[in-house]
Amino acid sequence: MRKLVIIPAYNEQGGIVKTVRDVKAHAPEFDFIVINDCSTDRTLDICREHGFPVVNLPVNLGIGGGVQTGYVYAFRHGYDIAVQFDGDGQHNARYLNEMAEKLMEEQLDMVIGSRYIKKEGFQSSGLRRLGIRYFTWLIKLITGQKITDPTSGMRMANRDVIELYAKNYPKDYPEPESVVTILKKGKKVEEVPVQMNAREEGVSSISPKKSVYYMIKVTLAILIAALRR
Amino acid sequence: MSLKIQIIVAIVLVLALASIINMVRKEALDIRFALSWLSVGIIVLIFDIFPSAMDWLVHLLGIELPVNMMFFFGFCFTLFLVFGLTTKVSRQAEQLKRLTQEMALLEKSLENAKEKEEQ
Repeated sequence: MRKLVIIPAYNEQGGIVKTVRDVKAHAPEFDFIVINDCSTDRTLDICREHGFPVVNLPVNLGIGGGVQTGYVYAFRHGYDIAVQFDGDGQHNARYLNEMAEKLMEEQLDMVIGSRYIKKEGFQSSGLRRLGIRYFTWLIKLITGQKITDPTSGMRMANRDVIELYAKNYPKDYPEPESVVTILKKGKKVEEVPVQMNAREEGVSSISPKKSVYYMIKVTLAILIAALRR
Repeated sequence: MSLKIQIIVAIVLVLALASIINMVRKEALDIRFALSWLSVGIIVLIFDIFPSAMDWLVHLLGIELPVNMMFFFGFCFTLFLVFGLTTKVSRQAEQLKRLTQEMALLEKSLENAKEKEEQ
């Protein structure tokens, strides 16, 4: 069973080393790959200095294109399991083994790390939580399944989903839409409770100005994903 | 429409058409994109040389003023063209993304091969 941690990184010079150390310490059976999305800071140099395996995108693709690169890599290198894991220290690697066990034992297609099952750790701001709750409601309406943390970037996929995502993955704000896509294909998705940390380094990709666009775009994307087969 | 303005418009159109063809000749413009511009240029040129053709069409469509028809068709043409460009940009964004990913992955596998060689 080969397992890969995909670490998308855009200007994460302050958090990338800590993230990789966390993965090495708590999930040693996992291989990992950093996807450097054309960072303008020293992210790439730091990865090279430490000897981290890096896929270096020559053009900035945004989170969707970056993560998809990881899935393509996982697919071509024959990995059975791949997990997205943010490079900014928000995610905790101590949950990875638990997620992989759940994925295998329950024969699931995807396991999402959710902040909102036990409601512990960093819970995001009030307004964002409201937005996330709205997406939970919308996804439940469309697919009939409750995903408590549809925006979670901590998601573990089996070989089937790796292949699907390698072929097709949204370009921006991909998480809720791509969950709907696989649910519509009849894939089994479950969540496990995790704690996340408040961001220490870097800035969120969703600024207040962009949040209106985010809500509209993701809503439309979910509705269209529901129309696809 | 006075003869003077007709002649000026005709000259401008012919110059524009000539420069489009010249750009295609020098491969500065893809012929697929030049086609819609060439055809719209030729249509306007026909209406310019034969204003009676325009009167006939205006009458046929029941539009009051020829100028209204020109604005209407001009606007439709522009919308059509802009939408065509939007779809092309979407497709190219996808192609560019794939190329970028392939290039990065290729670089990675080259690195791996080099490392293996050195060992």
